[in-house]
Amino acid sequence: MKAGINTRIAYTYMVSKVKSTLVAALGVTFGIGMFIFMNSLITGTNEYSEKTMLSATPHIRLYNDNKISNTDMLNRYLGDRTINLISNPQLVPQDNRIFNPDAVAAVLRKRKEVIALSTQVTANIIYSKGNVQENGTIFGVNIAEQDKMFDISSNMIAGKTQSVADNPNNILIGIGLAQKLNLKMGDYVRITTSTGLTKTLQVSGIFKTTIKNVDETKTYVSLPVVQQLLQKDRAYITDIYVNVKNYSLATETGNSMAQQTGYTSESWQQSNEQSLAGKKIRDIIANAVIFTILLVAGFGIYNILNMVIYEKIKEIAILKATGFQGSDVVSIFIQQALLIGLVGSAMGLVVGWFTSYLLSKLYLGLGNVTYLPMTFLSKHYIQGAIFGLLTSFFAGYIPASKASKVDPVSIIRG
Amino acid sequence: MSIALKAEKISKYFYTPEKFKVLSDVSFEVQTGEFVSVVGKSGSGKSTMLYILSTMDTDYTGNLILNDQQITGRSVNKLAAFRNEHLGFVFQFHYLLPDFTCLQNVMIPALRLKKLSAAEIEHNAYEKLKTLGLEDQALKTASRISGGQQQRVAIARALINEPAIIMGDEPTGNLDSKNTEVVFDIFKQLAAEHNKTIITVTHDNDFAAKSDRIIEMKDGIIISHDRKPHEL
Ligand SMILES: Nc1ncnc2c1ncn2[C@@H]1O[C@H](COP(=O)(O)OP(=O)(O)OP(=O)(O)O)[C@@H](O)[C@H]1O
Ligand SMILES: [Mg+2]
Repeated sequence: MKAGINTRIAYTYMVSKVKSTLVAALGVTFGIGMFIFMNSLITGTNEYSEKTMLSATPHIRLYNDNKISNTDMLNRYLGDRTINLISNPQLVPQDNRIFNPDAVAAVLRKRKEVIALSTQVTANIIYSKGNVQENGTIFGVNIAEQDKMFDISSNMIAGKTQSVADNPNNILIGIGLAQKLNLKMGDYVRITTSTGLTKTLQVSGIFKTTIKNVDETKTYVSLPVVQQLLQKDRAYITDIYVNVKNYSLATETGNSMAQQTGYTSESWQQSNEQSLAGKKIRDIIANAVIFTILLVAGFGIYNILNMVIYEKIKEIAILKATGFQGSDVVSIFIQQALLIGLVGSAMGLVVGWFTSYLLSKLYLGLGNVTYLPMTFLSKHYIQGAIFGLLTSFFAGYIPASKASKVDPVSIIRG
Repeated sequence: MSIALKAEKISKYFYTPEKFKVLSDVSFEVQTGEFVSVVGKSGSGKSTMLYILSTMDTDYTGNLILNDQQITGRSVNKLAAFRNEHLGFVFQFHYLLPDFTCLQNVMIPALRLKKLSAAEIEHNAYEKLKTLGLEDQALKTASRISGGQQQRVAIARALINEPAIIMGDEPTGNLDSKNTEVVFDIFKQLAAEHNKTIITVTHDNDFAAKSDRIIEMKDGIIISHDRKPHEL
């Protein structure tokens, strides 16, 4: 089936103005190209920062928070004959342990969305070598569980993660701490707790993550080492880390786990609110830029159509005189706009891909960001094409409906 | 004989620059197959009346019947469809679409009507151009042929849907005497051999004199619409 007469007229009008058509199409091209490039870069950046966050934070952390004092006890002893109130309630400091951690862990492992789980004890301590001291946090962990969750092995630049499990005097330290205290493999480092207890450990591994702060403060030892330092029993656990299948739902899953176990949950989103705000701001900036470009592209199409309609007003009149209806005229010029949009969008897809490709090869070398983080998702290209066509449609609609209202009599009699 | 056009008490006002009655109670009939010329001094309302008869101008009072169909009161879209199928126009200026070939220009109203396939339409359009002596120009762009040829292409376009009524507003106004004669002969033949109704405004007295009937206008009224004695 051949194209209808309206399409043929639209096409002829378009090719009769190659130059202006190209200019208008280029507007769409840049809009769509920019749309694709921006989205590819932003998604890349978001994925990168998400990866960075998740390399240090579990999807969900369960811990025992201090509770604010309530009237439960009063009610139990005084009954409900009186209304019991506590004025100025305080947080009750308590042993922040997870009671019977093995049972809690077993309950959590039964949930089918859980893919990794790790129990641990953390303590704020001071590292020292000679007279040099540094603050930090020591993690008493089951290293195999922890490795499964954060893939510490792939970050090791010296030694093995397993060494911590093999010998209770071994410690894994970050590259930053190693440099600050001039520690090498096999060197000894002294640990001092806030209560003044000390212990000397031997460096059996050095890791390098993507986060400077982690590399300078975090260390791993086996669980009993920290339990001893804190003078606690072998069942003392402060945190349970959980990774789940769908980490974007971590907050909801965490809440349900908190309800199930009675402990407080914190998802990676909640502990990284700052970075997620950055993501939102990036999205807003990108959308503003894209919207502006598409608006300008829309004006380009609007402009060329107005020009064509102005020039062809007599032809529109004669078409109406020979029986074309208002809707036919609208269809002619909308189709012309869409043709321009189609050409522009098609070129925009190529330009967008090419720009993204070129800039993904741009070396940054800032911190751990070596190259510009870029994604290549078909979703962005489809969205881009749809946006291009939508812009063309709306830009074409205004002049087209204006053209459809042309009164043939007033034009033809001159 | 059936009636192709019936105008009843058609009146029209213009409101700019001031209220002014351009047509007052114009009534007349045209028989199917008649070739009618409308004459009158400049400004007497000939074009105004023709645009009302052509269904393009709907801002009037009175009643209009074309081809036994009630026209007055129809929606704009229905009128467009009626024009497409039953009316053909030729204007003083050709108003061809300059980006298209002559053949395509002739085909456009038929492609809009969508009664025939594109191949059949192309064949018919080519035949129309042939009867007007334009077969050699068919594939030329409409802007690249002479004025007389353009006017004939415009006539071919007016005929492509085999309309019952053909209207012209000074269709020979821009033509030399030879081309005027060609156009006159075409109209004459359409009326005599194909039973088409022709209504055309003209300033050319010879042209008018040779047609079947002359309607003369003056200041918005018809002052005579006699059939010539030999036609009666
Ligand atoms: N759009 C308009 N607004 C106001 N007055 C108009 C308009 N068009 C035409 N007129 C007036 O209406 C009258 C009739 O005009 P019309 O064009 O019908 O005359 P005509 O008989 O066709 O003249 P001509 O032979 O010069 O073509 C004239 O006085 C003209 O000035
Ligand atoms: Mg006139």
